[in-house]
Amino acid sequence: MSNKIINFEIVTPERVVLKEEVAQVTVPTKQGEITILPNHIPLVASLMPGVIEVVKGDGIREVMSVSGGFIEVLKDKVVILADTAERAEEIDVKRVEEARRMAEQTIKEMRKYDQKSFTDVSARIAKELARTKAVKRWKRIKKID
Amino acid sequence: MANTKDIQRRIKSISNTKKITKAMEMVAASKMRKAIEAVLRTRTYANLSWATVLNLSQAVNGNSQEPHPLLTKREKIKKIGIILIASNRGLCGGFNAAIINKTQESIKKHQYIGEKIVIEAEFILMGKKGAAVHHYYGHNIAAEFPKLDLASEISEIAPVARMIIREYLAGKYDKIMVAYTDYVNASKQIPRVKQLLPVDITTEDEYLGIVGKDTRLGIDKEFIEKKKRGHLADEKYVYEYTFEPSPKEVLDEMIPRLIEVQLYQALLESNASEHSARMAAMHQATDAANDMVNELTLFYNKARQASITAEIAEISAGANALAK
Repeated sequence: MSNKIINFEIVTPERVVLKEEVAQVTVPTKQGEITILPNHIPLVASLMPGVIEVVKGDGIREVMSVSGGFIEVLKDKVVILADTAERAEEIDVKRVEEARRMAEQTIKEMRKYDQKSFTDVSARIAKELARTKAVKRWKRIKKID
Repeated sequence: MANTKDIQRRIKSISNTKKITKAMEMVAASKMRKAIEAVLRTRTYANLSWATVLNLSQAVNGNSQEPHPLLTKREKIKKIGIILIASNRGLCGGFNAAIINKTQESIKKHQYIGEKIVIEAEFILMGKKGAAVHHYYGHNIAAEFPKLDLASEISEIAPVARMIIREYLAGKYDKIMVAYTDYVNASKQIPRVKQLLPVDITTEDEYLGIVGKDTRLGIDKEFIEKKKRGHLADEKYVYEYTFEPSPKEVLDEMIPRLIEVQLYQALLESNASEHSARMAAMHQATDAANDMVNELTLFYNKARQASITAEIAEISAGANALAK
């Protein structure tokens, strides 16, 4: 196949985070991190909170954090339906750290609460962690470049 | 001829009303702007996720495996649940009447097979004005959920979505529909009744809110329709998906999410429609008030002039009598 490009699109209910032609995509699925190259077989998987990394045609890398969702892979198209997602350069590290500290504190105090809100807070912690990781990865990449 | 004082009083009262309708128009306009922004933001996600589920349902149902309960049609339909999205307040023209009549029509179409009522319909309301279905048509109302004027988060819809999926799986309803008003543009809104469960690719008119080409989204109706037709027409288009971890687990997580998104989109569409309808209604009211004030001012001037003329005639008549 001469076609070495993936039409990549990541959307959340709020907006389209990124729509680009890329060479490869790395996503955190429930069964571990996978990298998708052009001509991948069709795949549907659910995502874990974590870091998405894409490599564009010209070798430039982009990092995003995601808090969960789905990925659909077609022959030359990758669609990520994310619950929330941000590009690393948009993330404010201080606020993320603050939010995570708050969430962790709540979870310590909330043994008495019900299952539902407990999972809610855990999800929030995972999301903030994913954001922090995305920023760290992005900074590392920028230094190497 | 009416008393000048009465006319003056009416002019005063109408121009006061005009001030109110003008203010309501402004408020509705600003709410409409926000609601439209929200609708446009979500449309991409809603449509892409719907396309994904269509692909999936095709792939899964094509396989010999046990089909997913939310994707399979039931043979006998006894009771349907309808989620009716109306407004909380009135003064929005025919908005509520249109959606309620449309719903009633579609129930009727399904209901009478050989003069006999075969299907029962029950309502789940969002927005206070929806209660009229009970008053006018006597349908049962199963539940009522509060609705904000401007929805901001998808989690607002979660309780409704959870409830309908639970009741559908429990067998209380055999079909779930959602009645909402599709926002086309500021002067055009179309009431629609759409099937939500079971997810069915053969039903027409599945796509929320895409009318013609929307350059802002870079996605258009033809694109999706083509995709859909391609899938339906040709078995070869059925993708052999790999599921991670397993089809059941992915679908279990994905379909409820999709339902949530579709409902949310329907809610946003309705909100945008409601505010546009209210804005249009209030605009008309303001115009009508203007016309009335103009007309009454004319009457008032005529009456005033008539009374002056009458007075002068009286005086001159009196003067004439004295002179003789």
